[in-house]
Amino acid sequence: MNKHNMKVLINALLDGDQAVALEETKRLLENGEGRERIISDGVEAAMTRLDNKCTADQFNLLEIMLAGRAVTAVIKELYPPAVPPLQTKGTVVTGTLEGDVHDLGKTILKGVLTAKRYRVVDCGKDCPVEKMTDVAEIEAAMAICVSGLITTVIPQVRLLRTEIVGRGLGHIKLIAGGAALKQGSAGSLGVDFVADTAFDALHYLESLMEMQK
Amino acid sequence: MNSIERVTAAVNFRKPDRTPVIAQVFGHAATIAGVQLGDYLRDGELLAKCQIKALEHYGYDAVFALMDTSVETEAAGSALTYRQDMYPYVKSYAISGYAGLEQLAVPDPRRAGRMPEILKAASILRREVGDNVVVVGCVQGPITIAMQLMGAEKALYLAIDHPDHFARLLDFATEVSIRFGVALIEAGAHLPVLFDPAASPAVIPAQFFREFLLPRLRQVFTAFTEAGAAANWLHIAGPAAPILPFYPQAGVNLANFDYCVDPLEARQALPGTCLDGNIKPLDFVDSTPEAIAAESSQLLERFGDCGGFILSSGCEIPPEAKPENVAAMVRAARKR
Repeated sequence: MNKHNMKVLINALLDGDQAVALEETKRLLENGEGRERIISDGVEAAMTRLDNKCTADQFNLLEIMLAGRAVTAVIKELYPPAVPPLQTKGTVVTGTLEGDVHDLGKTILKGVLTAKRYRVVDCGKDCPVEKMTDVAEIEAAMAICVSGLITTVIPQVRLLRTEIVGRGLGHIKLIAGGAALKQGSAGSLGVDFVADTAFDALHYLESLMEMQK
Repeated sequence: MNSIERVTAAVNFRKPDRTPVIAQVFGHAATIAGVQLGDYLRDGELLAKCQIKALEHYGYDAVFALMDTSVETEAAGSALTYRQDMYPYVKSYAISGYAGLEQLAVPDPRRAGRMPEILKAASILRREVGDNVVVVGCVQGPITIAMQLMGAEKALYLAIDHPDHFARLLDFATEVSIRFGVALIEAGAHLPVLFDPAASPAVIPAQFFREFLLPRLRQVFTAFTEAGAAANWLHIAGPAAPILPFYPQAGVNLANFDYCVDPLEARQALPGTCLDGNIKPLDFVDSTPEAIAAESSQLLERFGDCGGFILSSGCEIPPEAKPENVAAMVRAARKR
């Protein structure tokens, strides 16, 4: 197998330069580079670099959004419908609960998790608790990530726990994030983890994967 | 001192009779009056009545002519979804992309959307409290309006892919802020507050703030000063520490800081600017009066009583807050 330098792709992803990232992906494929390696050494490596750069004090949402957009385009290029899908680590359901229509947070999370080989099923905004639980059950999700910018959704976050436990899905981990939810503690919200940033959520999921090994 | 004299003294770093306390009570005023939030947000007269009731109940230093953060975008043409127990949200944006900006007109506050209702609220509040209590009129800032005209994601991508187009969108949004803010002052508001939550470093980098927003904030605050604003109050929630040092360049002399910003860091960044903050909003829902009182006392202690500080929450006190928690913060300021 050819071993191509991934530097150009990594830098393009870090710069959020979608056009260059796509061009480089095509070039790598044409030169015989494997899809898996482009993901592991290119896309995942770029996201790890971005993760290291984004400390709690210097979290740059715009930068991650741009990288996420480029990652999505690269994955689409690598795995068109005709190609067997990317092997993922697990499925994560995201969404904002009924009454909350801010979706920037989950867009960011989707980009970060997708780049790290998680399959993300987006329930969209303003999603009822029952629907989110249905989706998590159907998709055999390992976790549900809810984002919330308004405190009035907090009772629904608590309801989500009741709903998943009541339906025998207590093994699904609940992660909360977003400006309103991160003011609360995991205990008070009834979730397993409160993520300060999208990378924080990723680290938690990775720790779950480690425990499963 | 009455509330206006007290707040003015604090803003100018003169010693007030006591530290002013401004509870950011918006929709919570409807809750304590037993009024549906959905009604409160569409009726200026009802809003003013609830604000006055809340003032009588709590005895703080300011009332707010403020409905929600979607007023400006609705007035510019976005369609909202209303619900009785929560703030409305944008159902469809005024424009689907930059090309639509050509068709947009800066809304006339006397006619567009709910702006006339808010102007009505401001003038009723002013009539009721006169020059004793501060009447605050709230306006969204340019970044927040820009994002609400076409959606946050699209607006941010536009900023990166076509910065010149984004600059034009921001110019339009700046015009909206100025026109509505000046109309609020003319209607009776003593003090406009510019809310720009989307300008938080949690959303945009500090460099972006400096390049795109700072010159436009200067325009907004210059216009407010000329219209007679009592102070230039900027409210950007979230981890705002990296952008605080730029505030004086925009003419800001009253700066809100959220719970996630360390008070000492805020003071060091803005030694000559009056600060207001920063009790965690969710604490008003989940915590106890004792804890709120302790936190308030700590802040009052830290900032001293020589002006330059207004006790407040870091952001809006949630509509569902426990009244005894709000009262505990007000009491802490009043008893000193």
